[in-house]
Amino acid sequence: MRFSIYRYDPESGAAPCMRDYELAFEPQGKKVLDALIAIKEQVDESLAFRRSCREGVCGSDGLNINGVNRLACTADLANLKEPIEIRPLPRLAVIRDLIVDMSQFFRHYRAVKPFLVNLDPEPESERLQSPRERAELDGLYECILCGCCTTACPSFWWNPERFLGPTALLQAYRFIADSRDQTTNERLDFLEDPYRLFRCHGIMNCVEVCPKGLNPMAAIGKIKSLLVKRVL
Amino acid sequence: MRNVGGAHRGLNLWLTQRAGALVMALYLIGFLVYAWIAGPLDYAAWHGLFVPLGAKAASLLFVAVLLVHSWIGLREIFIDYVHPIAMRLPLSFMFAVLYLGCLIWTADILWGVK
Repeated sequence: MRFSIYRYDPESGAAPCMRDYELAFEPQGKKVLDALIAIKEQVDESLAFRRSCREGVCGSDGLNINGVNRLACTADLANLKEPIEIRPLPRLAVIRDLIVDMSQFFRHYRAVKPFLVNLDPEPESERLQSPRERAELDGLYECILCGCCTTACPSFWWNPERFLGPTALLQAYRFIADSRDQTTNERLDFLEDPYRLFRCHGIMNCVEVCPKGLNPMAAIGKIKSLLVKRVL
Repeated sequence: MRNVGGAHRGLNLWLTQRAGALVMALYLIGFLVYAWIAGPLDYAAWHGLFVPLGAKAASLLFVAVLLVHSWIGLREIFIDYVHPIAMRLPLSFMFAVLYLGCLIWTADILWGVK
């Protein structure tokens, strides 16, 4: 199989480049991550990439594969056109090879306060929700923070410092929608700004690439309708 | 109490743009019905459509809303692509002036129909 992989080593002083690799590899039933591990073991041990769980749960191996952001561990090799082009996630600074600096991404994530805020005295057991209230969180809590959606979003490319991006906005809505959270108003206040939320123009790249099949744009739409309901 | 943090303009403009779209859609449907009722449209009939004051006012409102809708859209584009404030603000201002000119021109045309 043929691969073309983005290589960059800041210590060498050389400019980033695409390097070609050939590997005898049976693609059937294998994922891109399997091939990357094989390349690292058999061809070039200097290749650097992140991976952990290998099964689409940890979200550490988000990569741009043949032009589409996805998880290397869930991308079937058999369906990909050769040479398979593997690049780091777009618009983030590259630390080395396929490893990107996610600090901007996590700054936005932290900015939406991704935790429950409830000042009532803690109950004896847990804070209960009705099945219906709990169902509100479906399609939101599953996010694994891989960064595929945010780095596929043109609005994030143009304003990465100020637009929160689909991941953080999905998480913002996850806590707005939570019946146990008491700070909905403060959360909405934070988002009512020309940049943080309203840079989203409904391009829908986020929906297309999400490896978990989530819909950040729908969550953004719900935040917008809550903002509208609040002023009307 | 609201937090100081957001400029709180995002929602207003976004909502104005959508409300504007609604007004434009209503005008277009209304105008099509109005024109259809007026019968076969030759120059005289078309001219006659804009004689009543109501038609003039509705058309002027339509153009005003169209210009506001378009200016908000342009502002979005400038925020996305034109990052230096020294360029973005003059651009937004220039289009605001240009659009105001268009509105005055429209009023002049509409009220020129007698």
